[in-house]
Amino acid sequence: MKPILVVGGGPAGLVAAAGAAGVGRKVILVEAKDKLGGNPIHNHYSVFTPNQVDAETAMKEILSPVEKNPNVDVRLSTMVTAVEGEAPNLKVTLKGAKGEEKVDVGAAVIATGFEHFDPGRETQVYGYYEYDDVLTLLDAEKMLKAKQFLRPSNGQKPKSVCFIQCVGSRDRQIGNQWCSKVCCGIASQQSIEVKELLPDAKVFIFYIDMRTYGFWEDDIYWKAQEEKKVNYIRGIVTEITKRGDQLVIKGEDTTMGRPMEVPMDVVVLSVGMEPSPGTKAMAKMFNLPLEHHGWIGRAGNSPLNTVSTSRAGVFVAGAAGGPADLEDSTSQGGLAALKAVGYLNGLKA
Amino acid sequence: MSSTAPQEKNIQFMPKKAKDRVFDRQGNVPTEYFKDALFELEAKGELIVQKIEDGNWVEVETKFGRKKKIPIQNTWHHKSCGQCGHIPGYSTSIFWLNRLLGLKYHDPRDQTSCTAWNYYASSASNPVAQASIAIRNFSQAYQDGFFPLIHCGTSYGHYKETRNEILHHPKLRDQVRKVMDKLGKPMVFPEELVHYSEWVHAMLPRLKPLQKRDMSNIRVSVHPACHYHKLVVEDVIYDRDLYDGQRTAVVSSVVKAFGSYLGDYSTWHDCCGFGFRHILVSRDFSRSFSTIRKIERMKEEANPDVVLTHDTGCVTTLDKSQFAAQAHNRNVGVPVLSDAQFAALALGAHPYKVCQLHWHGVNNKPLMEKMGIDHKQAWEEFQTQVKRIEAKEIEYISWEDAQ
Repeated sequence: MKPILVVGGGPAGLVAAAGAAGVGRKVILVEAKDKLGGNPIHNHYSVFTPNQVDAETAMKEILSPVEKNPNVDVRLSTMVTAVEGEAPNLKVTLKGAKGEEKVDVGAAVIATGFEHFDPGRETQVYGYYEYDDVLTLLDAEKMLKAKQFLRPSNGQKPKSVCFIQCVGSRDRQIGNQWCSKVCCGIASQQSIEVKELLPDAKVFIFYIDMRTYGFWEDDIYWKAQEEKKVNYIRGIVTEITKRGDQLVIKGEDTTMGRPMEVPMDVVVLSVGMEPSPGTKAMAKMFNLPLEHHGWIGRAGNSPLNTVSTSRAGVFVAGAAGGPADLEDSTSQGGLAALKAVGYLNGLKA
Repeated sequence: MSSTAPQEKNIQFMPKKAKDRVFDRQGNVPTEYFKDALFELEAKGELIVQKIEDGNWVEVETKFGRKKKIPIQNTWHHKSCGQCGHIPGYSTSIFWLNRLLGLKYHDPRDQTSCTAWNYYASSASNPVAQASIAIRNFSQAYQDGFFPLIHCGTSYGHYKETRNEILHHPKLRDQVRKVMDKLGKPMVFPEELVHYSEWVHAMLPRLKPLQKRDMSNIRVSVHPACHYHKLVVEDVIYDRDLYDGQRTAVVSSVVKAFGSYLGDYSTWHDCCGFGFRHILVSRDFSRSFSTIRKIERMKEEANPDVVLTHDTGCVTTLDKSQFAAQAHNRNVGVPVLSDAQFAALALGAHPYKVCQLHWHGVNNKPLMEKMGIDHKQAWEEFQTQVKRIEAKEIEYISWEDAQ
């Protein structure tokens, strides 16, 4: 019985691998990095929304079924370098530390995820590469995990912190015409954590629209405002410059209909999602058509199909197929496993 | 937060400082490459693409890592209406730099105004008229055998926006073609749209060895022209070594090349105050913005000896607005020059006969003194030529007279 190939060891890939292995299928799980876990582990996520569960602890819940299941052959620091044939007779070349190896697989799940937008490409002027105290959500996340939130310029506690939403998302100028779905929730979550660490700091979130759907609305958005006194300001920040030892953010307060200029100690850029290099590479290698924003496309137009691609036996899960939160990613990982197993069992996937 | 507050102890994790963050500009380019559409239209026979001849260009890098060709010589100088009218030493300095390098150029007398002022200030005119004027000028340059080099930031920005319209609207092209047929001119578009400040930037390696005056004690603040760097941003020159590749490199590169101090300030990205509509219908706002938001901030934060910029409206607004502000005892009084004038001065150009600093509003004599220029003697030399004009000995000051 040919194994199922899962490409990507993040949340979607882990759940897919565990799911297929859990029903007795052999799985080859390929991860380019030297450790499983994807963005939550490699980028040192602090807590998961909306319940503030510790990210590392939560990740163990999906890591251990993979690590403990003998049906999963984990290949770390390994890349897929070539794909030949069609499912269920795919010949895949893997390149790892020990060299190249060709494996025969019956089906594949692509779970190569996203990468965070590089704020240097932003057409707004945010100065991430100019000013020490301009950070991304990733920088902030790592500091929050360490339970310290400081100004990189001088190592002091900031008295004012703001988050700028939609950096690299919802932006036609740079060609990213999508909402990254999670940034509003993550910024709100981080604002809560900042206030817990620095109760006296003033914390602002500058947004176009707040999109905290489902329970995030109550558990994060209102909590940040009502319990932590985070200030949400509707408006576009267009520039960050520096005056003395403080940053200055400039933009428009669209509620008040006036320009604003606010001194700030730390600015956190809520960088959105883009297809990862691995996702782009797998799309080419598996000959998977991209949907019109550049992510791996699903077969047909129905929103009810979330994992099947136009190639039989090849499935996509998580943020390789578009911006996705952790709930979506892991759910799709499970469904992709089910579909892959079903395909190999001769059922219509 | 006082900067003297103690740094936290036992720091667990600290994000990288800006100097250690590396921006890879070779990443995704968000927009289509205009050249793809341009050459496709040429292949279909819809228009002629004027190319820069091989060996006659310098390659520079733009915001997202694309390369851009800057012509070295055989340039057709598309001048600026306001520049010629208000700051003639601006365009003269550009020509002087060309002559210093021994480069061939053409100063046409039959260039048409781009009319972009109408467009940006009051939405006057219409797309067909605007596109026709652009192509009429490019066609003239092509027929003259020179490649367009655009002095005006507004013309430059506007032509880039017009290029996008021309490339993507067949109906507009048809309408423009009818106009060109009436004029008896071919449909021509240059392969690059090049601003003169891009040319100055690209010529710096050739100009720098010719430096005559020591500029090392000059403090400079730069104002970037909005119509240069905020329109069609992907076509604007950036350099990894200037502002960490996050702001346009032109003008600032001139300051660095001649060894002057580049002083940053917090309203760097703001408009000069000109604003097109503002200068026409709300001039007091323009004056206040220019002096309070720009000049005073520069003085407080960078204390420059001179402000350099690269567009007509910016030079005139930043310079001339200071007159009224001085009457109100505001903290102003900084000379404003173009990058071309500054470069020409560094390279030994005459301050009055070439750079024509007497057209500027703010007292620039202290600046000249810092540059080691004997402005009294220079003025006498200039007056000698003026007297020759008055005596009808000469019609105008020639390049030979300007030495």
